[in-house]
Amino acid sequence: MRKVALKGLLARKTRLGLTALAVALGVMLIAGTYVFTDTINRSFDRIFTAVYAKTDAVVSPNDSIGSQDNGTVPSLDGSVLARVKALPQVGEAQGVVNDQSGVVIGKDGKAIKSGGAPTIIGSVLPARFSAAEYPQGHAPANAGEVSIDKATAKRKGLHVGDTIGLQAAAPRKQYRISGLLTIAGVDSLGGATTVELTLPEAQRVTGKVGRYDEIYVAGRPGTTPAQLKAAIQQVEPSSVTVRTGKQQTKNQQDDIKGALSFLTTALLAFAGISLFVGAFIIFNTFSITVAQRAREFALLRTLGASRRQVLRSVLTEGLVLGVLGSLVGLGIGIVVASGLRALFKAVGVDLPSSGTVIESRTIIVSLLVGIVVTLIASLAPALRATRVPPVAALREGVALPQTRTSRLAFPLAVVLTAIGFALMAWGLFGGGSSSKALSLLGGGAALTFLGVALLSPRLVGPIASAVGRPLQALAGMTGRLARENTVRQPGRTAVTAAALMIGVALVTFASIFAAGAKKTINDAVDTGSNASVILQNINGFGPFSPGAAKAVAGVQGVQDVSPMRFSQGKLAGKDVQVTGIDPASFSTLYNVTHGSDKLKALPPDGVVVAKGYADDHDVKPGQRLQVKTPTTRTVSLRVTGIAEDRGQLLSQLTVDNQTLVRDFASTKDGFVLVGFAPGADAKAVKHAVDARLSQDFPQVEALTESEFKGNQADQINQLLGLIYALLALAIVVSLFGIVNTLVLSITERTRELGMLRAIGTSRRQVRRMIRYEAVITALIGGVLGLVLGVVLAILVTQPLDGFKLSIPVGSLVVVLILSAVAGVMAAVLPARRASRLDVLDALAYE
Amino acid sequence: MPAPSSTATTTSAIVAATDLTRRYGEGEAAVDALRGVTIAFPPSRFTAIMGASGSGKSTLMHILAGLDRPTSGSVVLDGTELAGLDDQGLTTLRRDKVGFIFQSFNLLPVLTAEENILLPLSIAGQKPDPEWIERLVDTVGLRDRLTHRPAELSGGQQQRVAVARALASRPAVVFADEPTGNLDSTTSGEVLALLRRSVDEFGQTIIMVTHDPDAAAVGDRTITLTDGRVSSDEDR
Ligand SMILES: Nc1ncnc2c1ncn2[C@@H]1O[C@H](COP(=O)(O)OP(=O)(O)OP(=O)(O)O)[C@@H](O)[C@H]1O
Ligand SMILES: [Mg+2]
Repeated sequence: MRKVALKGLLARKTRLGLTALAVALGVMLIAGTYVFTDTINRSFDRIFTAVYAKTDAVVSPNDSIGSQDNGTVPSLDGSVLARVKALPQVGEAQGVVNDQSGVVIGKDGKAIKSGGAPTIIGSVLPARFSAAEYPQGHAPANAGEVSIDKATAKRKGLHVGDTIGLQAAAPRKQYRISGLLTIAGVDSLGGATTVELTLPEAQRVTGKVGRYDEIYVAGRPGTTPAQLKAAIQQVEPSSVTVRTGKQQTKNQQDDIKGALSFLTTALLAFAGISLFVGAFIIFNTFSITVAQRAREFALLRTLGASRRQVLRSVLTEGLVLGVLGSLVGLGIGIVVASGLRALFKAVGVDLPSSGTVIESRTIIVSLLVGIVVTLIASLAPALRATRVPPVAALREGVALPQTRTSRLAFPLAVVLTAIGFALMAWGLFGGGSSSKALSLLGGGAALTFLGVALLSPRLVGPIASAVGRPLQALAGMTGRLARENTVRQPGRTAVTAAALMIGVALVTFASIFAAGAKKTINDAVDTGSNASVILQNINGFGPFSPGAAKAVAGVQGVQDVSPMRFSQGKLAGKDVQVTGIDPASFSTLYNVTHGSDKLKALPPDGVVVAKGYADDHDVKPGQRLQVKTPTTRTVSLRVTGIAEDRGQLLSQLTVDNQTLVRDFASTKDGFVLVGFAPGADAKAVKHAVDARLSQDFPQVEALTESEFKGNQADQINQLLGLIYALLALAIVVSLFGIVNTLVLSITERTRELGMLRAIGTSRRQVRRMIRYEAVITALIGGVLGLVLGVVLAILVTQPLDGFKLSIPVGSLVVVLILSAVAGVMAAVLPARRASRLDVLDALAYE
Repeated sequence: MPAPSSTATTTSAIVAATDLTRRYGEGEAAVDALRGVTIAFPPSRFTAIMGASGSGKSTLMHILAGLDRPTSGSVVLDGTELAGLDDQGLTTLRRDKVGFIFQSFNLLPVLTAEENILLPLSIAGQKPDPEWIERLVDTVGLRDRLTHRPAELSGGQQQRVAVARALASRPAVVFADEPTGNLDSTTSGEVLALLRRSVDEFGQTIIMVTHDPDAAAVGDRTITLTDGRVSSDEDR
């Protein structure tokens, strides 16, 4: 029996190949994701191990609220270093600067963007602690020198002796490159642009004169790192965290892993989508072949094969296919891991990877998932094969007996769809953690897809008529036949189309979501902002020096300058986002929906609470809120009002900037709203502002409202591009499904094709007929996907406060057209096959 | 039996074959299905081709109809030399000048009887001549079955649809390969009578391969093949 299974597979190589590929692509993304993220993790592991290798203990600020990377956590006061140094257990202690808020300006006068990776300004370490090596030149020795990582130097064509600029808290200053830097033999700190200055210069540039980001400590001989840590903790307040060198290494590695785990999960979700689609293809292919081979199974049964043996023979096919597909997927996955990196680089995120890391987990998970998915998908068709009665061997034109499941398909479809929607609704409105909500949403969507797929045999006829009639009008009989052929086996067409539907639905969903996000931002800017220009970090989100606002305030024609700051706090044990404003000028330059007057009158100790938050937490004006700030102190703020900002610029709590500076140790601006004097020549003033910024603060750009909107739209579009690229995989898999179904149907219809050719149908007409059949199938998937995507998008965006739903009709039409084009592409091979059939062979075909 | 002079017959014949040979395979295993067949079919005649199984009947018919190419020799169909045509040329020729009736009906299950009848015209993108089709439908006696699909028709009815389909475009010649092979004697009789009428009433030229002497007897002329050669050629 096993031989029968294997022979069956080998006799149909195209189908074998295409079906295996349907599994392989999903597995490829799993393997690729693991290899990709493992490789990134490994390179960071190496870097951090090297950085802290010579350090026994590291003192850093307590970052339980906020993050050191985005500057919300205050740096260490100089007195900490003095106290640590005084300890008898301490051999040597070094304060360091390790700041991520600055920017490096290349030879061309433009800021060097490191694509998502940070720009790190560090201080030179003494040899006792340093992990830096200088393959060229030497460490900076004075306030006019800088060293830069070799990778960035190479990328930007920088050499020792060249001049580059630096700007962080202090305005731009030019430095001579004294040396090129590597760490642990690695040219780049994980894609980051890394520069080193002498300690005092680093402190001055980053606005941390007399302060440190970390203190590296080495113990006296005989003191263990643990003892050292305990000794430091004794003298330090809770605003300071002490870790041994090993713990600090682990901590940093875990941070990276945590950041990457989101990426891993997201990529695996896309792999899951591809596999889900692949499962449809496998199911369909097996269903068709089992139906075509019904007589063969009946014959085997007559010859004495048991049901179990028939089942095993079909499942063996599934197993072989699964193993083959998974192995191929694993192989390609390892190769495309670097492709993933290129993909991320293309959308501006450059991630490091040195060497290729293949963990055994990668291999096991990839193979296991691929094989299990294939087996599950082939189980139902295998069970159907066992139901072929032996007498069928003696009859002409056997049809498989209708199974219980196919009779129950309709009610089952309705129930599945209903449960799917219920799960999604639960995820959306039921509260709970975001990961729980996301799993509920994902599971609900998967069930909905299954339900609609089961439902779709009933939809195939009407949709095929709707999209097929124009084709028929266009192409006459070939169009007519194409349409009839798609509805001949509605179940088959439905599953084929449903596979494409999934991809199209998700693309539609993403497009609508992105369009809505853009509209939300645009409307917020249009109705909310009265600013002539908005200052923001060139990376779009980072904080920047308050010096920029001051500089711009001095430009002729600028009337109002209103900085906004963003920080974090803890209220009743939960994280809250805090916005800082300049009450007087803010209300002139920005309109909130309700409560402008409250913001204008915001006193230094007051807080204005966002309406949504106030409603959810029952906050009333006059009440006092105890907010724990990034300094680890708790401040008491009096609620002076409630405000509603549909523009979403204000976060949950809004306070005076002075409060942020005093109690939250805030040092940087997030956005600055700038208003020009009435009657001023806006173009000329903007020009002057630009000139001023590029002179002293090249990290900051001034955007008009329309530039700001465009800038935000670009960011959304980049993300959307990434999502499209990943969904393309699922769509390609579903195209294999169309190819497979067509090839199998053509085999079934060989005699018909022979007859058509005999009575004068040209090869072109045959090709056209197959192509239209594919186009109709693809359009059925496209239409179903479009409708489902729109419904999902409307549903999911419903609970989002202030989200403006916008249906991008143009894009959706393009999606539909692309579905048709996809059908044309899928038809190329089957159409060629069909048109090349030898007429006489086809007529004689049995 | 001396073959008639080819030049003399070609001019008046709808289909004329000269010195046809057809060899399948090569070397040791080669099979000569046709070994020099010269034959002409005048218009408006009903010719039956008979012979033992494997004598080359189907091969001859396929070559005459432009479905297969001879190893050597020539075929002229309604004034066109087939050797000079490429696949597209042959396809157009079949479409415009040839009708087919198959043993196993070969109707398209997705189309109604009427659509099946009109299929060759639809493929050619031609408008049917309503009068002609009316007459055809009445002749084959399917008026009340026109909207049915093949699965709802009996074998005899299906074959009558196939006959109507073959005649719909008024081809120069209709080829039929054992058209009654899958039918019982009563329905066979109906189909043969239909073919006979199309020759008598419409002046159709028909070339039919058959095993059945009774079927052959309906024709005007019977050609017998033996081992790839014409062994007898008798007019009725
Ligand atoms: N495609 C082919 N390849 C090889 N040999 C073939 C092929 N087709 C036909 N033959 C051989 O050519 C010879 C003539 O075949 P043909 O089909 O023309 O016979 P026939 O007279 O139609 O027989 P039947 O009455 O059984 O239909 C036979 O010996 C057959 O085996
Ligand atoms: Mg034959």
